[in-house]
Formats: sequence, C-alpha cells, structure tokens
Amino acid sequence: MTDRPATAPESGPETVRIERPVVEFLRMYVRNWAAVAGFIVFAAIVFAALFAPVILAVDPFEMVRMHFTPPGHDSYVLGTDNLGRDMLTAIVYGARATLVVGGSAAGLTIVIGLTIGSLAGYYRGWVDEVLMRITEFFQVLPPLLLAMVLVALFEPTLPTVAIAIGVVTWTGVARLARAEFMRIRELEFVKAARSIGSRDRRIIWRVILPNALPPLIVNAALTCGIAILFEAALSFLGLSDPNVMSWGKIIGDNRDYLLDAPWTVTIPGVAIFLTVLAVSLIGDGLNDAFNPRLRER
Amino acid sequence: MKKFLVALSSAAVALAAAAASAEEPKRGGTLTFSYRIIAGHFNPAIASGTPTGIPGTQLFAALLRFDDQWNPKPYLAESWDISDDGLKVTVKLRDNARFHDGKPITSEDVKFSIETYQQHHPFKPMYAPVKSIDTPDPLTAVFNLSNPHPAILLAFSSQLGVVIPKHVYGNTDNIRQHPQNSQDVVGSGPFKLKEFKPGEYIIMERNEDYFLEGKPYIDRIVYKKIAENTSRVIALEKGDVDLTAFESDAPVLDRLKKNEHLTLTPDGYSAIGPLEWLAFNTKRKPFDDKRVRQAIAYAIDKEFILKVLYGGYAQRSLGPIHPGSVFAPKDVNPYDYDVEKAKALLDEAGYKPDSDGIRIRTTLDYIPAGGTWKRKTEFVKAQLKKVGIDVTIKASADFRAWIKTVSNHEFDMTMDSVFNWGDPVIGVHRTYQSTNIRPGVPWHNTQQFQNAEVDAVMEEAGKELDRDKRAALYGEMQKLVVDEAPIAYLHTSPYHTVFNHERIGNAPVDSIWGVCSPWDEVYIR
Repeated sequence: MTDRPATAPESGPETVRIERPVVEFLRMYVRNWAAVAGFIVFAAIVFAALFAPVILAVDPFEMVRMHFTPPGHDSYVLGTDNLGRDMLTAIVYGARATLVVGGSAAGLTIVIGLTIGSLAGYYRGWVDEVLMRITEFFQVLPPLLLAMVLVALFEPTLPTVAIAIGVVTWTGVARLARAEFMRIRELEFVKAARSIGSRDRRIIWRVILPNALPPLIVNAALTCGIAILFEAALSFLGLSDPNVMSWGKIIGDNRDYLLDAPWTVTIPGVAIFLTVLAVSLIGDGLNDAFNPRLRER
Repeated sequence: MKKFLVALSSAAVALAAAAASAEEPKRGGTLTFSYRIIAGHFNPAIASGTPTGIPGTQLFAALLRFDDQWNPKPYLAESWDISDDGLKVTVKLRDNARFHDGKPITSEDVKFSIETYQQHHPFKPMYAPVKSIDTPDPLTAVFNLSNPHPAILLAFSSQLGVVIPKHVYGNTDNIRQHPQNSQDVVGSGPFKLKEFKPGEYIIMERNEDYFLEGKPYIDRIVYKKIAENTSRVIALEKGDVDLTAFESDAPVLDRLKKNEHLTLTPDGYSAIGPLEWLAFNTKRKPFDDKRVRQAIAYAIDKEFILKVLYGGYAQRSLGPIHPGSVFAPKDVNPYDYDVEKAKALLDEAGYKPDSDGIRIRTTLDYIPAGGTWKRKTEFVKAQLKKVGIDVTIKASADFRAWIKTVSNHEFDMTMDSVFNWGDPVIGVHRTYQSTNIRPGVPWHNTQQFQNAEVDAVMEEAGKELDRDKRAALYGEMQKLVVDEAPIAYLHTSPYHTVFNHERIGNAPVDSIWGVCSPWDEVYIR
C-alpha cells in the first residue's frame, strides 16, 4: 500500500508524490496493525464512557440483585458485586472515571513537565540548575506514597486524585523535554530564527516546541496508561472518591472476597489491563509514525 | 431483685467457685496475645481505651471485678457497702494486698487513685458525684457522694477503677508525663511489667506476691502488636499467637472460624457495649425535622447490613443502650425496613421530589477505619437514593480529620461508633444530654439533640440505685429517644475474641469486661 498515496488529487502521473504530513502520519500509523487494534479498543472504551447513561440507564450504585450473583446469571452478564450492584453497569460507568483521571493526569503531567523541561533546556545555566534540582526532588520521592499523602491530605475526590497523579509523574516528561530543547536549540533553523531577532517566547513556542513534540506525545500516551494504573492503585488502597465508580474502586471494594467471588476482581482487572495495553499500543504506533527513519521502509 | 448492698464474707470462696471447671488449671507457660494497636503507656487512671486497658488491668488491680452477669465480685476490696440514702460508699480492702514493690495497699492509695481519675481521666461523669474520700483506717475508704450514683460499683472495676500507688505516682505534678506509666510500672495486678518495646511488644511476668493465693497460672504474657489483619490471622493459624481480641472483619472471622484449633466468641464485650449507628446533625436542615430522621431510619435495610456486610457476626441494636446490657431497649420502634413509609414521611415533612425525583441533597461522613465502614456508607447512599435523598459521601483524610468534622458539628449525617462503657451514666448519657454539647470534644452530644423530657428522665435514672426502677426509667428514656430519632440505630460492633482452645484454658471471656480484666484464671494446657 506504500506505492499509492491515499490522497493526491492534482498529482499527474509524472509528479513527485508529496503528501501532507497528517496524511503521511496516518498512513504510517495504519501500517502498524497492533496500533490500530489498540486504537479500536481505546475508541470502544471512550465510546462506552461517553454514552454510559444511554447504553445503561441505571445508577451504578443501585443494588439490583443479590450480592455475588455469578456472571451470566439471569440478565446479569458480568454478575453483581459485594453489594449486589450490577458489574456491567459498574464497568461501563467506571470507564468514565478511569479515563477522566487518566486523561487529565496525563494532561497535567505534560503541562508541568513541558513547562519546566522547556525552560530548563532552553535557558540552561542557573534556571536549568534550579529547575532540575526541583525535578530531582520529586524524582526521589516514592511516587505512590507521595500520591497517597496528597490524596489523604485533601479529600479523595476525582480532581484531587488526578492532580496527585499528575504531580508525581511529571518528572519524566520534564527531563525528556529538557533534552529535546537542549538538542534543538543548537540546530541551524533555531539559530536562524534567533539571527532575525525572534524573541525567546517565539523561539520556544513556535520554533522549538513543534519539533520537540513527537517524543512528548508518545510519552503522554504512556503516561496516560501509568495514570490509569495509579488511579487503580489508589482506589485499591481505599483512596478514591466514594461517590464515583471506577475500576480500581471495584477491585478495592471486593478484594476481601476474592476467593468467594473472583469475577468481581478479575473483570475490572481485565478492563484496566485492556485499557493500559491499548494506550501503550497507541503510544508505540505514534512513536513509529513519528519516526522518519521508518518512513520509506 | 438484686440489691447492691452486698457484703461478701469470703473472697476466696467466690473466686474458687468461679474458677471451678472440668479440668484442673496448670501452672506455667507463656501466653502470646496479639492486638492491632499497642499503647504508649499502661496507666488506666489517666487514659481510656482498650490498648491501655488490656495490659493495664494485668498490671494494676482494681477494687472490684464483675462476672458475666453484671454481679460485682471482690478483688482488692474485700467487701463494700452503700448507705441507705446512697450517699456513702464504704469499701474494705483486703489486708494481704501489696504493690509490686512490696509496699502494702492502703486506703490512701485508693483515695489518691480515684482523685487521679477525677482529674485526668476523660470519663468525667464516672466519678463526678464523688465529693470527698475519707480514710478512717488503712483498710477502709469512705466515698462521700453528692447524689446517689448507681454506676459507682461498675466504675470500681476493670480499667475504670484501678488502684495506683501514691508513693510512686504521687511524687509528680504531672502524672501524665510520669516515666513509670510505661516503664518500671508499679501495680498490684497478677502480672508485672518485664519489658516494653514501644510500638512492638510488652512482656509481663507472673507477680509471685499476688494477693490471690496460687494465681496467676501463667508465667508470662507476651503482648505483640500485629497491625495487619492477614499477618495476625496467619500467626493465629500457625499457633504463634494464642489469643486476639476485638476482631471484627467478616472475612477475617470467616477464615478463623474454619480453623479447628481456634474458638471465636462474641462474649466479653457487654460492658464495653460497642454500637454503630447513623447520626444526624439535628440543628441542620432538613434533619431538624424528626420526620426526615425517621424516614431515613426506615429507608435503611438493616438486615442487609447485618447479613451481607457483617456476615452475620454483628447484632441488631434498636436504641441507645447495647443489647447485652440489663437496660437494653425493649418495645421501641424497630424502624423495620419500609421504603413506602419513608417516602410518606418525607412527603408529610414537605420534601417533595423535584423533576429528577430528588427530595433532599445532603452529605454523609464516615469513620475512615477500613473497608466495612466505607461499604456500609455506600450502601446507605444507595438506599437513600431510592427514597429520593441524594447523598454525597465525604471521605475524611484520616481519623483525626473525621473527629474534627464531627466534634465541631460540621456534618449533615455521619456513620459513628460509640461505646456504652458499662453503665449508661458513663457511656450513654453523654450522647443525649443537652448540657453535653461540647464542640471540639469527640463523642459528646454531637447530634446537638435537645429534649427536656429526655434530660429529666436521664437525670433521675442517673441517681436511682434500684436496678428495676432504673430499667424502667431507661426504658422510658429510650422510647423517647428512639421516637425522636437523633440517631438511626443500626447494630453492635461485631467484636470477637479468638483463642487457641488447645493451648488455653479459662480464656478471659467469662466476664462483662472480657480481655480488659485480670487474666489470673487463664492457664496453658
């Protein structure tokens, strides 16, 4: 499929094929079947999360039947949990919390990491020293413990959990961004931009950043997976918003009954696994698609 | 009716009778006890709480002890007498009792101890009626009361009435900081403190000069802190631990029950009387309306909580007093699960459903002490949704944060657990007295419940010495309170004592105080 571009309307037979970057990127991504599968799974989860109330017009906290109804019994495809709540509803609604926390924590990671990393990498010198010491400070703290303290300190609500995860996972992005900025700021086109008198802000945002983005986007996808796992771990430890159903919370609520009702723990576990896997595959796909060395293979 | 004017001639006879069992107790051996928590010190005169009380009652003897039928028995006191007007309590001490350092126990020590309780112990009403203590001779103490005090004999028992040596603890201005509260403890109980490693373990050894002949049977008690449920369960199963108490998690109890070497028993908690309930802030809307409170009491399926969340280990409780007490509520409204009735009451109170079907939006706090509390809270949230009450659960960061919220009345509804502590005067009045609304203090009348009639009945019951008359008064008080519903009563805490019956004889479960009483009858098989 490499010999025919997807869109090239004006191109005659003799014209050199020049693709728009987005199209080329998509073509590269689609070539990786695992990444496509990851995307499809992730899209399904997002769809479920978005339309949860339409798909299942039930309150996930509603007790519908005897507790620990096994999967497949009556119309309860995934059975019920320790309070007799429908597992299917809980999983579908749980996707919302999981994705919101995962997404916003990843977003926060990017914002903090990119800001600190780009300033450190661009200005270097004492700015770099100070910001990197701060980064190291956060790096040496055990992340799960710090997140637990933060959530425990403030009330465990969805935003606090997202913020806590963001606060403990941004250091990787900061170091990555710093390295990219240090590399790119020495390249010819940046020097050119500087020679025509561009201000720092313009150079950082318009000149360097677009070129530093690809690895950061890949990293963001992976961070999203990590954030989902973090949310699950916190919920498992009981540090979750008790008013919101999430997959980690389902596991945490039912872990005492693992031997009596294994499905109550395994089903949300599988959901978490699939989501994190999907996100990682997407990250891989993005990485390949961004990599110019893989283009003409 | 059993009069409190008891004067038993011989202590030895009673104790021998209590100890009678099929098997002859053996001397020797080490008993390993494990608990979630280890206290910082073991002086029960200045602190409440079972972590202090369990070792505290081994190290310090009290004036009296109680059997499992709420009958007082001689301990340090040989006999006692309450005057007819109830204003004078005379206690005769036994003459052979000595502290661990060999000094005899005198009425001066009794006076000093009770005064220490009055000054430093958190349970203020317990010794509040004691105006003064006379010591006419070294073995007689006379308590002069400002009003008859039916709880005084109970207060003389277990961790509420230990006798501490004046010559040791009287030499300081600040007994709270006394080093001998935790090291080189000088008591008079069946065991002496041998070693204490803060946060880890306590080793106690037999007091060879114990005033009860031939006791205790065991040579040594090792009190080991094992905070984690699973580790404690495994230690019990392996036989590393012989005895644990206050076990309450259904999965833990289920697992231990399957072990043929272990016995589980709910006995020994009737004095502590632990209750769990849903409390309302009656000064806040909409809980200022009794119909709303009643509606919520009806809307909760109590049987489900007992059966599913507590695996059948907890017991239903219907009112302010624990079902194990002689004053347990009778003929009160049980608020059996009834959704329609709940809705009707809310309609009547004027809380009609809006377009989303919601009548009331409110919040619910809970004690952050593990999975079961949280599950119960979520269950109540789901239950109240069915009658149109939208509940947002508020999770407190930690135990202190929850105490702060609730004790300062910054809540709408909260899950709570309150102990009866043996007598209603000590553990029940505090929750309902309109005079006991004390912001910042945990477990006062946090509901801010004010009812003159209830106040009056409690006042009377608190001075009545006749047990039957008192029971009638508390019956009346509980009917009033349950109808007013400042609290939706749910169940008892499912506390269980677990012991290895192949190793231990006479496990400390046959008194109202359970493990918070001297283990001088316990022996190793």
